[in-house]
Amino acid sequence: MLSDLLHITFVISILAGMFRIATPLLLAASGELVAERAGVMNMSIEGTMLMGAFAGFLAAAKTGSLLAGTIMAILAGGLWGLLFAFLACTLKVNQIIASLTSNLLSSGLTFYGYRVAFGEERATIPSIKIFEVVQIPYLSKIPFIGEVLFSQFLLSYVALLMVPIIGFFLYRTKYGLQIRSLGENPRAVDMRGVSVTRLQYFAVIFGGMMSGLGGSFLTLASAGLFLPDITAGRGWLAYVIVIAGNWAPGKILIAALAFAFLDSFQLHLQSLGVNFPYQILLALPYVFAILVMAGNRSRSAAPLSLAIPYRR
Amino acid sequence: MINFVNKLKIEKRLRVSRLSQFLSVLIAIMAAFMIAAILISMAGANVPEAFSALFAGAFSSKKAFMETLVKATPLTLTGLAVALAFRGRVWNIGAEGQFFVGAMASYWISTNLTWLPTVWLFAANIVIAFLAAAAIGLIPGVLKAKLGVDETVVTIMMNYIIRYFLSFMLSGPWQDPRYEFQMSPEIPKVSYFPVLLSNTRLHAGFIIALLAALLVYLLLQKTPLGYEMRAVGFNPIAAKFKGINITKNIIIIMALSAGIAGLAGAGEMAGLHHRLRIDISTGYGYTGILIAVMAGLNPITVIPVAILFGALVNGATRMQVLTKVPVSVVYATEAIILLFVLAAQVLSEYRIRSIRDVE
Repeated sequence: MLSDLLHITFVISILAGMFRIATPLLLAASGELVAERAGVMNMSIEGTMLMGAFAGFLAAAKTGSLLAGTIMAILAGGLWGLLFAFLACTLKVNQIIASLTSNLLSSGLTFYGYRVAFGEERATIPSIKIFEVVQIPYLSKIPFIGEVLFSQFLLSYVALLMVPIIGFFLYRTKYGLQIRSLGENPRAVDMRGVSVTRLQYFAVIFGGMMSGLGGSFLTLASAGLFLPDITAGRGWLAYVIVIAGNWAPGKILIAALAFAFLDSFQLHLQSLGVNFPYQILLALPYVFAILVMAGNRSRSAAPLSLAIPYRR
Repeated sequence: MINFVNKLKIEKRLRVSRLSQFLSVLIAIMAAFMIAAILISMAGANVPEAFSALFAGAFSSKKAFMETLVKATPLTLTGLAVALAFRGRVWNIGAEGQFFVGAMASYWISTNLTWLPTVWLFAANIVIAFLAAAAIGLIPGVLKAKLGVDETVVTIMMNYIIRYFLSFMLSGPWQDPRYEFQMSPEIPKVSYFPVLLSNTRLHAGFIIALLAALLVYLLLQKTPLGYEMRAVGFNPIAAKFKGINITKNIIIIMALSAGIAGLAGAGEMAGLHHRLRIDISTGYGYTGILIAVMAGLNPITVIPVAILFGALVNGATRMQVLTKVPVSVVYATEAIILLFVLAAQVLSEYRIRSIRDVE
């Protein structure tokens, strides 16, 4: 068994799996980063990803176009962002309660929507043809690295590219600066004549779109089908990843990869047929999340005004 | 010459009357049902027909109404668990997992302590289910109180971990070998919770739920802990300077809240299904959040709200049979109700007034 684990093809498979599994986590976490830097704690990532996963699957199944599915997922995510922004920034509802409501709403709506669109439980579960892996010319031919990094789904490359893009946006542009100031001291931003509400809406809707896109990866690239609550806590893991990554894009990438590695590792261990209850393995990422939260509190760079509604 | 111009101005009310609050909730529920009507028509059903089936299924006969109360029993308890925690600003969203812990503890008692006299067995079932769930609640409680770890994340992660543990128990040690499905054999009849009315499924869990509501109410209104919880909720910093031990309170609140959610699990296991199943909860812990918030975190108000939600679930079963509208429409409707109630609560704090302005 140990020789199996150390075999090169197995290691490649685990690492390639890590980048694949990290994709939805990374997309959602980097979107959430922007919202949280703007001072809005959106804990409805789980529900937003679920909306993206469902809307993407529905559109792809009905039109036969994966592109249509992806666009619908982004729109659904944006809509959920808009809903949250309205609750949190306009109505100034407690952000935890707003998040939980939004999560439960998408859980109920997608469950019902799936039944209405695809009928009652049947022997064959409706499925679609998923995205194909994109081999990057030349790079994918490099031994080891090529197979791990350059034979992935398109969305995985997008997720990795979004990290420096969001980093550049936050730290090198005027709007990025305004968003970061918003999380620390919204009054200062307000005094300069910038609309706090508009900027927060922008940040939360952007975060929602990223979560929706991340959710679509589950149905359009991973599973090819939809199940109720298919996100299975990934949105919450993304929320933990933002904290573990200390609100910095690069560290968020590392945190997402760490979670994904653990998940990929346990999946591969299951595939080896080890004599060990698979449920315990499946629970590992969640146990890890609790440990990360417990160990991470001391060096927090959380935005000062996070989750505090701004009132003039 | 002076010109008076009438202007409309939105301003915050100084006091929100009970009546306007009640009316706003009523309007919110009606608005939510209009959205539900759209959802139902999307399923291709006749909306009035569907609603009348829903209503009949929940209230039309004594038996139907008792079944509504059966459905309301776990919801009352999880609603109370969440209401108590949120009152103390402890964001316990782990009622779902704590429900499973209570159900598992109850299953263990029901199969292993059958030599106890029936009354003692019943008591042990309740007490130990409560304590087991409360002990699980100590994990997020202590992490929050001692290390400042965000309890929302810990409790939700524990929901997944506990569910996997239940799945493990039900696909191995506790599985009924005669079935593929993840469920245990039936518990011995002596361990059943007593039924309250013959020919119905209404069991002692309903009385436990009502008593729990009363106890939580008394705890909040009449005890030092309740006073301190309200003080912390009102102004945490001032409360700390008054010498209130916030750390200790967080742990107690989390344990009590988890214990109450555990009672819901015990009731469903020993009172209704008489066996442990992987699908023993249809999201009761999460629905409890909706119920608690809708009830304004008031333990007594939790009861009617839970009955309303129980009626929805119960009536939806009839609706599905008669009109083919999937039961899951109620899960969406419940969340929409809360969404509108939240909005209405905020909006009822404001009023539009016409004021005269001198130009």
